[in-house]
This record gives sequence, structure tokens and C-alpha cells, in this order.
Amino acid sequence: MTRAGGGGRLALAIGLLSLALLAFELALMQILSIVQWYHFAFLIISVALLGFGASGTIIALFRDRLLKASGSLLPLLFFACAVAMAGAVAVAQFLAGDFDLRQLFWEPRRIWSLFLFQLIFFVPFFLGALPIGLVFTLHTERINSLYAANLIGSGLGGVAAVSLMWFYLPEQLPALAAILPLTAGCLLLPASRGLRWWLGAALAGVVVLGFLIKAPALTLSQYKDVSRTLILPQAHLTAQRLSPYGLVQAIASPALRYAPDKSLTYAGTIAVRDALFNNGDWFGAVPLWPPERAATVYASTTGALPYALAKPGRVLVLSAGTGDDASYALAQGAELVQMVEPHQAAVALLGETYPESAGAMLKSSMVALSDLEPRTWLAIDQSSYDLIIMPMVGAFGGTAGLFALKEEYLLTSEGFKDLWNRLGPDGFIRLSAWLDFPARAPLRLTATIIEMLEQAGVEEVQQHVVAVRSWATVTFLVKRSSFSEADQQGVRDFCRQFRFDPLLLPGLGPEERNRFHILEDQGFFVDLDRLFAAPQRQALYEQHDFNIRPATDNRPFFSQFLRISGLPRVLKLFGDRSLPFLEMGYLVVFLTLAQMAAAALILILLPLLRLGWQGLDRSRMIVYFSCLGLGYMFVEMVFIHELVLYFGRPIYAAAAVLGAVLTFSGLGSFLSMKVSPNWAASQKASLLAALLVLLWAVLMPALVRKTMALGLEWKALCALIFIGPPALAMGLPFPLGLRTLADRNKDLVGWAWGINGCVSVLSTTLATITAVEMGFKAVLLIAAVAYLTAAAVSRVSPRIS
Amino acid sequence: MNALHCFLPARTMITLLILGLSLLCLGHAGIGSPSSCLAMGMRGQSREDKGDSYQALRAGMVQEQIRARGVRSSAVLDAMTRVPRHLFVPEAARDYAYDDGPLPIGYGQTISQPYIVGFMTEILNLNPHHLVLEVGTGSGYQAAVLAELVAEVFTIEIIPGLAQSATDRLRAQYPQKVRVRQADGYFGWPEKAPFDAIMVTAAAEFIPPPLLEQLKEGGRMVIPVGTPFLVQTLMLVEKINGEIITRSMMPVRFVPLRRTP
Repeated sequence: MTRAGGGGRLALAIGLLSLALLAFELALMQILSIVQWYHFAFLIISVALLGFGASGTIIALFRDRLLKASGSLLPLLFFACAVAMAGAVAVAQFLAGDFDLRQLFWEPRRIWSLFLFQLIFFVPFFLGALPIGLVFTLHTERINSLYAANLIGSGLGGVAAVSLMWFYLPEQLPALAAILPLTAGCLLLPASRGLRWWLGAALAGVVVLGFLIKAPALTLSQYKDVSRTLILPQAHLTAQRLSPYGLVQAIASPALRYAPDKSLTYAGTIAVRDALFNNGDWFGAVPLWPPERAATVYASTTGALPYALAKPGRVLVLSAGTGDDASYALAQGAELVQMVEPHQAAVALLGETYPESAGAMLKSSMVALSDLEPRTWLAIDQSSYDLIIMPMVGAFGGTAGLFALKEEYLLTSEGFKDLWNRLGPDGFIRLSAWLDFPARAPLRLTATIIEMLEQAGVEEVQQHVVAVRSWATVTFLVKRSSFSEADQQGVRDFCRQFRFDPLLLPGLGPEERNRFHILEDQGFFVDLDRLFAAPQRQALYEQHDFNIRPATDNRPFFSQFLRISGLPRVLKLFGDRSLPFLEMGYLVVFLTLAQMAAAALILILLPLLRLGWQGLDRSRMIVYFSCLGLGYMFVEMVFIHELVLYFGRPIYAAAAVLGAVLTFSGLGSFLSMKVSPNWAASQKASLLAALLVLLWAVLMPALVRKTMALGLEWKALCALIFIGPPALAMGLPFPLGLRTLADRNKDLVGWAWGINGCVSVLSTTLATITAVEMGFKAVLLIAAVAYLTAAAVSRVSPRIS
Repeated sequence: MNALHCFLPARTMITLLILGLSLLCLGHAGIGSPSSCLAMGMRGQSREDKGDSYQALRAGMVQEQIRARGVRSSAVLDAMTRVPRHLFVPEAARDYAYDDGPLPIGYGQTISQPYIVGFMTEILNLNPHHLVLEVGTGSGYQAAVLAELVAEVFTIEIIPGLAQSATDRLRAQYPQKVRVRQADGYFGWPEKAPFDAIMVTAAAEFIPPPLLEQLKEGGRMVIPVGTPFLVQTLMLVEKINGEIITRSMMPVRFVPLRRTP
């Protein structure tokens, strides 16, 4: 067996490869979110990461041959990984570029295309994970430093990917990442370093550089908003801008108009406007300017209701998008419009590309702009407002469940409470939603408003909320003080003028609700009224076919309505082909889980063919390394979610959290070198991890809320204190277990690496489902139980060999 | 002792596993709906045989997918029995034309599920002397169904490629009854207005004021609201005494459990 690389070079090579793999993963998520949509990326990435699990299986099955050839194999694998990384996107687009996951539910025969996509993206991860696993197997005596290099490299990969997203097109990122395994491969070239090695390196280098210089243009799904817009006559791209938040593009076309929620009494012209898209999805229309132009568009929408009742001076617009609401607020005489929009690149593009409209509005002395996440803004800002405008909920025509996995912290009970606390004495909250069929979002919104008002001590809840309905939308208005009779008459006059139907109003007669826009499903009104009485509300939550309980910060998935218990009846009612499109986003997660579970089972059991089944000992080993994989991914997921809300800038927060978690875990791995490997040490390490995770589960929510209003530097310090200790503890059990295993039977090291990899991948999906069904706290508790289980298994495992 | 390992080396096991998975995939790809099984059996048939087979599929579609779900108008059912849906889908998808679902036709568009076409056509309440405007020709199938029922159909498609292919198909089948225009549907077809019925298949977040203007008093407009792959509801717009009234009509009648009035 030829050993490749001195200790330092080997650790560096592993670090570089790990950095590249994580950067490639994030780049791939960005690319796939652009060409398809988020859930497709989720599905593909899960399979891709299975490459890690598969690498362990291959090592377990062919260990001797692989180790014998490792001297020449390792650099080859690095080069192959580099080439696969650089070319994967191009190959996928060439072979199956017209595939859209949504077709799968109507055309099962397209499963071929899905498998093809998965295989293509599986390859670079497999080729990258295999040398890592091999090195671990080869150098078990140095596993601590090598695992530390793996973790730290991965952590840096997150930061690197996010930084590069500002400067490079998404399609260039894979080739950029590929430079690192190429370099690492050169570090590990055999001592002989004959010409053929350098030729191999050069060939790989040519391929990588070729894809970097001539990155394949991304082929978007024809069903994406931007694709359907670009085929309009004379449609063209006017500007685009890169950012980790997404690729934002401005499109112009003489056929592009946008006037959502317009009253059917409006007989004027609807203006042509350019539009912005983020990752190929609709972001917003360029606002009309001067404000008088905005008034013509928005005056006859349900969103104009607050202005029919009052003249708000201070207006807060959350998730302001392109600024349509801000523009209209100014048209209505607002003295201050505070816009909160986290997508800095979109705002910058707006200002630069449309200086005479959006640019002029953003520069207005009456407009203030913040790029924080809205909830973070609400925690920091102590001002009160006359009107708070929430972003539109849902999408015209339905979202097909595509937002089911998206955390929407603004639409939780706690979020509504924060909004209420920012209202002036006669202030309003305006909340609009696209109607969905069957009704789900309006019911959940109503429930959230009612429960928030009750918790705020409001006695006559019905006096503080009104709602009006058009043919496609509903707009709620929540008032700090109760709606006076003059207000109520104002609502009726507004509805009469624009032919809207009042939906919630004190003293509303049933004939008023369904006059101009008749809903066949009258039961919607019945359910709405039931929400106002607490006992009936609870009964409705239990009985409704969809989950309409308010979302909370612990379960912030507002757009997830599917109830597993209600599934059989809904399937029967809608047919098994309609349901996917009602709640597709969530069903894709289950599809991913099913695939992962099947693949993981095969990959974990396959090595037993060679290694043999020795009953309890093998099963204990499976449990130990599985629990570590599950516990780690579950905790990492919650870290990211909690601290994204904390920092208020999701992309940076996610990269920083990932970086910190992996770096501290790497440090933990490094420190484990000082402990002599045995199962007792593994047990203690697992127990320590479990204890710190439990402590975190109990203390974190309160600590996060208490410190959210601090400045960024202090929050960064707090985050390190919050994340550091549990992450460090979580970095201990895996290398300790591997070293202990290696001392007794090196054959099993590759297999252990594979088990951990498989279960880690499975855990990403499981953590998502657990969070949606049971909340983040449950995810943490399960993680703690996983570490406790690992500890228990260590205690009774003196014979794992 | 591992018995399997005695008989079969790991390499062979892996090969068998891969073969098995491949067969599974092939089998899955081959198993589609019953109609596509029938359609697969049609490969290798002569043109005349295929024509008869499509007719059989069409009759089955009307009975099982449309009439069975509550569309009662005999005129509509007859129209859909006559119109050769398979001629309005891409050639590669012809064998799936009578399946119970939408089909992609390119440009991010789909040809609607047969039931939705039937349901929308029925609620327009058409008469043989009616003039109908369609905004969003797409494949031209809906226009063809309408042409079976009314005096004249005016259909607008904004995407040039779709407009051309629809024109070619409709000119062959309904040269006198259907006029296709490649234009922005926002403006309607003012020179032929008013219309007894308007079908807006290219739905947007607003109803263009010109279209409401071009709807006759007492006329009906139908707008499917949903994604390319699922219609959530159908919006029926009526002009009654100058007033515009909308009615949301779900293709599936959803009645949640245990409602207490």
C-alpha cells in the first residue's frame, strides 16, 4: 500500500476538498432554485449527499484493493471529482434540461428524467467523499486532525460560497469550486510524479478551466415565471444582479402589466410596467412614480381600505419588495414610509435601473430603508406606526404547496404580537392574501389574528378586525382601537363603491357577504365565524381537513396545510392526482425521504455481505454511528433556523452559523486527539453532547429573544457563546468512535463512515418533517435522545470489533 | 458465517442489484395510465386503425372523465366526442392525449385536462348563434370545442409560435368558424365585440377592463384560476344589468367534515 501525502499536505488536501464540496452543494442549490424551484434542489441535494454514504459502502466492500492502490487512486479521485463538479450542470442540462418536477405527478414516465438528474449530481459527491473516507481508513491514527480538517474545510466552504455569489454568475460557481480538488489532487501526487501524472492533472485542469471560462447558460424550466415572461412579445432583460439571496433580473415587455386585486369597476388603463424576478420567480413590478400614478392603480383595490378610513402619517411596509405599497402610501400623504426589504440586490437594482421611478422614490426624504429581516426589524425598532403593511400572502392561482417548507416568521403568533406592539393608538395592520380553493390561508390568518388579540387582552375581538373580499383576494384590517360606527360605515361605502364584499364587520348581515363575488363554498363563512368562539375554534382545528392552526415560531410553516390524518379523505375527494398540486411542496419532502430511506438501507446493509453479520455487535455499531449522524444534522438544522431569525440576514447568517458549527465541531474533533480512544470516552462525549443540546433546547428561545435587539457585534459574540459549546461537544463522539473502532477492526472504519453519511442525509429530510409536524423544540429533543442513545450503546459495547 | 457470501461474491450482488433497479425503472416508466397502455398497444398500427383507436379513447374520455363527473350538456359532450384532441397536442404526446390530465404543449403552457374543458364549456351556457372570444388560444383545442357549439369563435394568442401552430390546426378543421389572431389579449377583439361569451384561459391577477367592456349584457366570462397543472377554481363572470358579478365554481365540490351551521 502506497501512502500518499505527508500529514500536513493530507490534512490540507482534505480541507480543500471539503471546502469545495460544501461550496459546490450551495452553488448547486442556488442553480437548481433558479432553473427549477427550491424543492427540486432539496431533492437533488439529498441524493447527491448520499454519495457520502455510498462511498463508505464501497470502501467497506473493496477496502483492501482500494487501500493497496491508494497512492495512485487518491489523486485520480480528486481530479475526477474536479471534472465531475465542473461539468455536472452542463451534463444535466444537456441530457434532461426540459424536465420539471411538477410534471412527475401527471406523467409518471418522467421518473426517468428525475433518476438521471439524481445520478448526475450523485457522481461528484461520491467522487469527493470516497477519497475522504479512504484517507480516514488509511490514517486512523490521525483521524482527529483529518476530521477537523474535513469539518473546518466544510465550514469555510459555506462562507466561501456565499461570498462568491456576489461576484460570479451561479453557473460559474461549480467550476470555481472544482479548482480546489484539482489543487488538492496535485498536492497528493505520488512521489514519482511522472509525466503521465502531470498530464492527467493538466487534462483535468483544462476541463475545469473550460467550464469556468465558458460556463453553460442555465436552461430554466419553461414553467417558471421568468420563462413565461420572456416569451412575451419584445420581452427582454434590462438588468440583472447577483447576490446570495438570488439572481435578480428586470424584464421589460409591452405586454407586461400588473394590477393585482383590481376592482371590476375600474374602467381605466392598466399601465405597462417592467417586472423583477428573483431566481426566476416573480418578485414584483417596478413601482409607479410620481405617487399620483400609483394612486390610479391602487385606489380601487382592497389594499386601499385603510386609506378610506384614515390618513396614516407613519407607515411601515414589511417585506416591501419593489415598493408598490410604499409608493401608494406616499400618494396618500404619508409623512414617513419605513421600508423593510432584506433583498439588498433587488433594491439596488431597482434604484440603479429605474432612477426616475424607483430610484426617485428610494431617495425621497420621506422614505427610510432597512435591509433587515422584518422580524428582526420589529425587535430592534421601538417606533410606533399608524399603518403596518404586511406582504401579500400566497400567490394568484395557488402556490401548489411550494411555500410549505418556507419559514414565515412574520406570519406566526409571535410575529403578529410584535406587529400589534408597534401600532399607534389608532393604528392599523393591513394584511392581504390571495384566496385559495379550498380556503385555507384566510382561515389560518383569521385564527392567528383572533388568538393574538385574545392574548393581548382585547375583550371584544370582533370590534378590532374587519375584512373585505374581491374576486381573488381578501384584505384584513386589524385596529388597535375598536372600529367606530363611522369606520364601519366607511368600510361599507368602500365596498359599495368598488363592488367588494365585506367579509368581517361588526353587525354584518349574511346577505352582505356574498353579493358581488359569490363563493359556492358557503361553508367558508361558517368556518370563519366559528373561529371567533374559543371552544368552536378548537373543535374546528381538530375537525378541518386541513391544518389551519396558527403557525408559531416553533413551527413557522404558515403555508403548510396538509394533515396526515386528513389525507385519505382529501385524496378521495380530490383524486390522487390533484392533491400533489394542492400541497406538492410538502409531498416532495416525503418523496425524498422514501428515496433516501430505501437507498440508505441498501447502502448500510450491502457491506454486511462482505463483513458478515455478527448480530448484536454490528447492530450496536449501526446504532452508534447512526445516532451521531442524526443528532448532528438535527441540531445543525435548528441552529440555522434560530440564528437566521436572530441575525436578520438569512444568507449571511446561514453561512456564518454553518461555518461556526463546523469549525467548533472541527475543534472538538481536534481536541479529542488528547483523549485515548475507548468506548467509555465515546460514551462520555455523547453524554456531554446530549446535555448541552438539552440545555440549548431549554434556554435558547429565551436567550435569542432577549438579545435580539443588541448590535451586530454583540449578537455575533452571543452566537459564538450559544453555538460554541454544543458544537464542540458534538465534534467529539465521531472521531473517538472511529479511532476506537479502528483499534479493534480497521475493516469497519469505512463502513462506519458510510453509515454516518447515509443517516446524515436521511436526517436532513427527517429534521424538516419533524420541524413541520412537531416544531423545532421536538427536533432538538430528538437530537438529545439520539446522543443519549449513542452513549447507552457505547456503554454496552465493549465487544464491538 | 455469511451464507450469501459463500455463494455470491459482492461484485455479483451489486451487479444484480443495479440490474434489478434498472428493470424497476424501466417497468415504472412503461406503466402509465390504462389509456397509455392502450395507446402503447397502438404502435405499429396503420393510420386507419389508429384513427379508430383514438375515437375509442375519445369516447371513453367523454364517458369516464367528463360525463361521470357531472357535465350533463349533451351538446358539450357531443362536441368533445367529435373534436380530435390528439391532433392538438405535440406529436410525441399523442398517445397520452386522452389521459385524465393536462399535457404540456411548450412555452410553459398546457392543454387543459379534458374534464376542465368540458366543465368550462358547459358553464358558458352557449347557443349556436353565439359569438365567443377566447383569450389564450394555446393548442387551439378549446377553440375547436367552442367552434362545434357556436356561430363564430375569435381567439387571441400572444405567443407567436403557439398562435401559428393553432392557426394551422384550426384552419384545417374549422376554416370558416374560427379566427385566430396573434396579439395581446388585454385589448380583446374590439371590432367584433360585444361577445356572448368570453373564455380567458391566459389568466392574470386582474381582469382586463377592455374584456369586461366587450362582454355583452347577460353574457358570461369564465376564467380558470390555478397553475399550469391544476385548476383550483373557475371564476364565472356575468354582466347582469350592467353590474359585474363573479362566482367561484370549484371543479371539485369540497365539503369539509362536520360543519355546524
